[in-house]
Amino acid sequence: MHIMEGFLPAKHCVCWGVASAPFVAWGLRTINKRIKENPEQRMLLGVATAFTFVLSALKMPSVTGSCSHPTGTGMGAILFGPAAMAPIGFVVLLFQALLLAHGGLTTLGANIFSMAIVGPFAAALIFKVSRTIKLPFGVCIFLAAALGDLLTYVTTSVQLALAFPDPAGGFTASFLKFASIFAVTQVPLAISEGLLTVVVFNALKRFNPAELQEMKVVSEQEVQA
Amino acid sequence: MLIEQCAYSNRWRRVSPAAKGLFSACGIVAAFLASTPRTTIILTGLVTMITVLGAGVPLRRYLKVALPELLFLIIAVTTLMVSVGWNGHVRFHLAEQTELDHIALVCGRSLGSIAALLFFCLSTPMTDIIALLRWLRFPEVFLDIMTLGYRTVFVFIEVIHDTTTAQMARLGYGTPRLAMRSLGILTANLTMQVWQRSTDLHQAALARNNDGSLKFLESEFHHPVRSVCVAAIGGCMLIALALTGVGQ
Repeated sequence: MHIMEGFLPAKHCVCWGVASAPFVAWGLRTINKRIKENPEQRMLLGVATAFTFVLSALKMPSVTGSCSHPTGTGMGAILFGPAAMAPIGFVVLLFQALLLAHGGLTTLGANIFSMAIVGPFAAALIFKVSRTIKLPFGVCIFLAAALGDLLTYVTTSVQLALAFPDPAGGFTASFLKFASIFAVTQVPLAISEGLLTVVVFNALKRFNPAELQEMKVVSEQEVQA
Repeated sequence: MLIEQCAYSNRWRRVSPAAKGLFSACGIVAAFLASTPRTTIILTGLVTMITVLGAGVPLRRYLKVALPELLFLIIAVTTLMVSVGWNGHVRFHLAEQTELDHIALVCGRSLGSIAALLFFCLSTPMTDIIALLRWLRFPEVFLDIMTLGYRTVFVFIEVIHDTTTAQMARLGYGTPRLAMRSLGILTANLTMQVWQRSTDLHQAALARNNDGSLKFLESEFHHPVRSVCVAAIGGCMLIALALTGVGQ
């Protein structure tokens, strides 16, 4: 889902960079505050960054029969909070550009906006709302991970459609064109990632319930049940 | 990781990262300033030659690293070339000549920028990049996350390798259903290691009187000022090539 190096016009690169900057700055401020209160958070966030990076290197069986890799936006947002995910996502995207040549430096702002801001914030919001309306735990996790993933790809489609509007149909036609091409891979990927995240949280709930409770992902009653 | 291997073994490993970063940035700026596809192709060729012949990155490795990005570029350009219309039913048509010229320029710009990015990442190890960002006054907490993240990535890669080998030996990836289960257990295990390893690191840092940010000895480079000057001249030449529209 990364927009490749040099693909967006210069104006768009700058605009998406400016749009992402306040979120990253706010995330860094939040992290600084957390580190002041709990110094061990410095190590935790560093290791979490490595975890998010390697997660994108795991091969996952997709429902179409092919293989893909998880994005980890939903899981990261539920575990570490959406504010922390903006700077973590920034570092992960920088690593992906410099260590894997995946994405780019000029498109970093646009990629941060879709993958480290929209995806995690949407996933955290969906998780909170679905918990409030008392949906089963597994369903909440699935919806947060799958819809967080889908909204990431919708945002990327919007970014590309804004940069390259269709000469005949304008922004809408271009958006539909990009979204339908991405849908071929991203819809099965979102479903697979949703299922994988449910399996992960079920395993965590079974073997490490205390940690999940500490992170306020599950309540005491659910752990005892 | 192939890029890491090249970054540590290339001929310009000991050249200042500021010089390589400056040249790469100029390459990207030149790719954006170029007004014709032919100019961008010339820029791409020049930067690629400098990476392969100058920094001594093997051509085969270079192509292996560039190939996935080139495939993405082909898909993206094909998408741009097809226009979608609605006239009672969906109809597709190929872009007109003026649009094709613009698409060719976008394609060339991407190629030029990718070449400049590859020059930087294939010749500069991540530890040097972090040192460069520290020199550029990036926030301390951001650099700490980068340093810790980079050092822990390899630990996790090792854990993934060992765990998947054990799971595969027990036919854990025999069917898609089993694969999903094995992957779920592996990811849950990794998730818990985030807390275990960060606690261990924190305790190790406390035992060494850590007072906050993480500091490491930085590498020394041969003639940094001279390298930056040479890179600036080379970068300016690339920009001049782009502005004069060589190849028009």
